[in-house]
Amino acid sequence: MTDEKPMMEIRDLKISFDGFEALHGVSFDVPKGKLVGLIGPNGCGKSTMMKCISKLHGHWTGTIVIDGEDTARMRPPDVAKVVANVPAEVGSIYGMSVMDMVMLGRYPFVNRVWWESEEDEKVVREALQTFGLDHYRRKQVTLLSSGEKQRTLIAKAYVQNPKVMLVDEPTSHLDMKYKLEVMEYLQKMARNDMTVMVAEHDISLMARYCDLCIIMKKGSIVTIGDPKEVITEDLIREVYEVESCVGVDREGEIYVLPKRYLRTEGE
Amino acid sequence: MGKEEGSGPLKGVIGTLRKGVRSMNDSMVPTDDTRSEIRIKKRRFRVILLTGTVFLLAMFLISISISSGGIIPITDAFSSLVSAISKGGENLTTEELYVFASRLPRVVAAIGVGAGLAIAGCMFQALIRNPLVDPYITGVSSGAGCLAVAASTTIASFGFLAGYSSYIIPIAAIVGGLLAFAFTLAVAEGAGGSATNYILAGVIVGFAFSSVQTIFLSLNKDNLTNVMWWLYGSFGNITWENAFLVMIPALGISVIAMLWAREFNVFMSGEDQAKLLGLNVRKFKAIMMVIASVLTSVCVAFVGVIGFVGLIVPHACRMLLGSDHRLIMPASIVLGACLMLFADIIARVVISPLELPVGAITALIGTPVFAYMLVRRGREYDG
Repeated sequence: MTDEKPMMEIRDLKISFDGFEALHGVSFDVPKGKLVGLIGPNGCGKSTMMKCISKLHGHWTGTIVIDGEDTARMRPPDVAKVVANVPAEVGSIYGMSVMDMVMLGRYPFVNRVWWESEEDEKVVREALQTFGLDHYRRKQVTLLSSGEKQRTLIAKAYVQNPKVMLVDEPTSHLDMKYKLEVMEYLQKMARNDMTVMVAEHDISLMARYCDLCIIMKKGSIVTIGDPKEVITEDLIREVYEVESCVGVDREGEIYVLPKRYLRTEGE
Repeated sequence: MGKEEGSGPLKGVIGTLRKGVRSMNDSMVPTDDTRSEIRIKKRRFRVILLTGTVFLLAMFLISISISSGGIIPITDAFSSLVSAISKGGENLTTEELYVFASRLPRVVAAIGVGAGLAIAGCMFQALIRNPLVDPYITGVSSGAGCLAVAASTTIASFGFLAGYSSYIIPIAAIVGGLLAFAFTLAVAEGAGGSATNYILAGVIVGFAFSSVQTIFLSLNKDNLTNVMWWLYGSFGNITWENAFLVMIPALGISVIAMLWAREFNVFMSGEDQAKLLGLNVRKFKAIMMVIASVLTSVCVAFVGVIGFVGLIVPHACRMLLGSDHRLIMPASIVLGACLMLFADIIARVVISPLELPVGAITALIGTPVFAYMLVRRGREYDG
């Protein structure tokens, strides 16, 4: 919660695939320790932007500076020490245990060593405790519930001790209890000075938890700001082409109810 | 690790190992155990090496005391071996000669090939991330087979070369195996380099080489004795000269591949995830593919196509030990070597003095064991 220099500065970020420009010169700053929501329709460039930040895509132009360092000049293992990524799903992993999975997050730090150190184990065990997984550490990831799987993936990114954590649709397979649980974990991490960026479709959930919202459409940013201020019926209509009802509940939290979609004209 | 054994003093060792393995795999139960997981793993690693060595030694002794000619007591076989080695392999008695010149080379080769095929299979399964993958997935066996058959059927027309056929056929096989791998690599990478691309490319390249091999075979129906052993896999043609040509590269490459066990773990979490953790996925995959293909080619070249070991041994190890390649890779090496030695023993004694193709035996031993494990663990295994 400081107003010093931003944790992440993105300037004029552009990327094209086969002549199609997926991001048209995106620029924004993210302060330290914020939970940032990336909101926008499918294909608006949310995932692409996260892949540029983590350097999974390499051919972008523009600058991405994290904590004062230009990622373009960093080698992949060094990027892995400042940016962690939480994928939407666990892949097929032949019965990997929770502990083994989370331990992978220490890879950037113990490169070229066969066994991890006791120190690495300590970091991992603490993370497992933080995310309520320590009891299940020998359980296979594929046998976990969806919420536990998601927590495992977050714990794996967490042990990378990153400055920026990118989370792609963390709640898409979860019921409402797990959705809240995951968002609370992400919020807790942001409160501990980690910058957490979440791409997510549930706007009410984003509005409730995020400190900052970046609203995107077709590879550009529509607006950035406090979710309670920027999320309006007009904005939803503009971005999603959907009529909605944006209301405020008794606790002052806003919610978004989609009503009907509008037919696109001449685009 | 020799699951196939269960007699005598070794039973206790199996029991201990099994208990250890079971405790690790009791994954349904939450654990209150506070021991260091890394220490547990290190201990498990030592247990694997120790039990593996014990079993391997036992198999080794059984193997040198058995041949299609008869069985001698293990102690006699061992003392013959020691005395033959102390004599430097010269002026040997009949029994020493049997043990030293006829049985020992094939034992040495079986260890190398068993270990090599198992770890190559383990590597390919991880690299292509498909459970049906075996070391021959990139068409190596068909390429090697094709050129081996071509060499052996045409060698007679090069009179001056005929005397060197025991070298020419393996060399042709290695060249063929690597050629097939190169084609597969080119097609698969050209198509985008996904797991499915590799499997499909391997299948078509394999078919192409098999077809050429069939053509050679049908044109040379009368000249097949040289090559039949090769097509079904056998250690019968192993001599001292080629035993080490198999064993040293096979074991050497297997052990070297183990240096990347952690990277294999990272790779298993998905190519994108591995990249995000800082692994140079493209380079890693290419180098490991080449290593595994060379390893497979070396194995295939001298003893022919022995199936199944490279498919089931790594799976068996994964089912027993979990997903950490620092345990699976050494376990595959020792289990592969033990299984191969065991299969070779069976192949020699069943219809003694004739020999059965060892490839058929590995499959016959492996199938029930694997089916049992699949029934027990299959559900957890693929989630």
